[in-house]
Amino acid sequence: MIATLTEINVQTRPSVVSLRAPTPVDTATDAISDHELMLAVRDGELDALGELFERYHGPLYGFLAKLTGHHAAAEDIAQTVFQRMLKYRHTYRDDGSFTAWMYHLARRCAADHFRKTNSAPAPTDPSDLQNHADEAPDASDRAARRDDHDLLHLALNRLDRDAREVLLLSRFQELSFAEIANILECSAGAAKVRAHRALKELRDIYLALQREGPARN
Amino acid sequence: MNCTRAQENFPNLLDPRTPADAHADDRAHLASCPDCQREYASLARTLSALDRLPAAKPSPRLRAGFYAMLEQEKNSAASVQAAVLRHRRAARVSLWRWILAPLAAGALALGGFFAGTRYAPVPAPAIDPATKRELAELRAKVDGVGQLVGYTFLQQRSANERLQGVLTTLDQKNPDQKILANLVGALALDPSVNVRLSALDALYPHAGEQLVRTGVLASLPREQNPLVQVAMIDFIVAARDRNATPELERMSHNESIDRSVRDAAKRAIAQL
Repeated sequence: MIATLTEINVQTRPSVVSLRAPTPVDTATDAISDHELMLAVRDGELDALGELFERYHGPLYGFLAKLTGHHAAAEDIAQTVFQRMLKYRHTYRDDGSFTAWMYHLARRCAADHFRKTNSAPAPTDPSDLQNHADEAPDASDRAARRDDHDLLHLALNRLDRDAREVLLLSRFQELSFAEIANILECSAGAAKVRAHRALKELRDIYLALQREGPARN
Repeated sequence: MNCTRAQENFPNLLDPRTPADAHADDRAHLASCPDCQREYASLARTLSALDRLPAAKPSPRLRAGFYAMLEQEKNSAASVQAAVLRHRRAARVSLWRWILAPLAAGALALGGFFAGTRYAPVPAPAIDPATKRELAELRAKVDGVGQLVGYTFLQQRSANERLQGVLTTLDQKNPDQKILANLVGALALDPSVNVRLSALDALYPHAGEQLVRTGVLASLPREQNPLVQVAMIDFIVAARDRNATPELERMSHNESIDRSVRDAAKRAIAQL
C-alpha cells in the first residue's frame, strides 16, 4: 500500500530553545537582541558576552559534538569559539548576523581541530572522563549499533565532513539557507542542494547500517 | 511535472518552514507517484530520526572555563586601559557640557567686552575695582561648579558614574582638600579596579601634598589587585615618598603577593 502524504509527514523538528540546557538568563536582558549584545561587546562591554554565552553555548556545543563525534573536543572547540569572539570582537560588523558569525568562527575552529587531530592522536586525560557521562559509545562496539541513535551517530560520522556540517547547520541550528550560504561562502541555492545531497547520503549510509545490524546477529 | 523535477524540490517540501500551500505542483505529483512517495518517505524518516537524536549537554567545565576566560580578559591591562580611555572620552563630553560651555560663554563675553572697549569711538574708562572683583568672583564660581560636578559624581552609586566623577577631577588645577580626600577614598575603598586606577591617575599632579602621599601609602596594604598595587608603587616612586620604604620591604618579602608586585616593590626600594 502506498503511503499517503499525511502518513509521511516529517515530525516538526525540535526548536533550538528546547534543545538548550536550562540556564539562568537574566530576564532584564531578554529583550536585547544578539546583534545588540555583540555590538556592546565590540564596544568594550565585555559582560554582554556572558549573556550570549548563556543563549548559545548549548546549541553551539550540540553542533560541535555532532560534527566532531567527540564531547571533550566539542567543549574545547566551543571554548575556543568564545575566546575568538573576544579576540576578534572588533571585526564584528554593524550589519552582521551574530549566529552566522558564531558558526563561521565555529567552522574555522573545528577545521583547526580536524587539522591537528589528523596529524597527531588526541591525548585523553583520564580525570576528564567523569565529566562526560554521556560520552558517545565506542565505534567498535558492534552490539551498540542496534540502537537507532548509535546507528545514526555512526552514519553521521561516516559522512564527509562538509556534508555533515551543512546538514547539521540546516537541521539543528534554525538558520535560514541565506545564513547558511553566508557561513559556507556559497549561494543559498548551492547550500540547499548541498544539504539535500548530504541528507540522501546520510539516508543511504543509515539504511545500509540498519541492514548490516540483523545480518550480524 | 516529472519525477526529476519533483525530487529537485524535495528540500523545500521537507523543510518545515515551507508554507503548506507552496509548491502545489510538486505536492500533486507526489500524491500520485509511488516512486517519489517512497523516496520522499525514506528521506522524511531519516530526517525524523535525525531530529529525535538526543541533544548533547556540555559539562560544567565549559561554563567555568568561559567565565574564567572572560574575567581574565576584563582584568587584562588592555581592557582596563580601553575602559579608562572610553570613560575619559565620555567625561570630556560631560566636561564640555558642564564646565567648558560656561567657560566658553564667559570667554565670549570677555572677548565682546574687550572688542567693545577697543573699537568704541569713545575711549572706554578703565575697569573699575568693583568690576574686577565681580569678574574674579565669576571665575571662582565657574571653577567651583567644576569641583562640585566632580564631587557630586563621586557620590554616585554606579561604577561608570564614579569613574566619570574621578575623571572630571583630572583637569582641575586646584581641587580642594575635600575632592582630594574623595579621590583617596575612591583609591582605598572603591570596588572597581577601573575607578581605583583612575583615582590614582587623578592624584598624580598632587603627589606633593601630604594628604595624598599618606592616603596612597595607607591604601597600599589593603589593595589586592596586582595591577593597582604596581601602579601605587610607581606613584610612591614618582612622589619620592621614603616613608613607604618599610611597607615596600614587607611587600617584597611576602610570598603570598603576586611576583610582579614583589619585583616592583624591590625596584622601588632601590630607587628610593
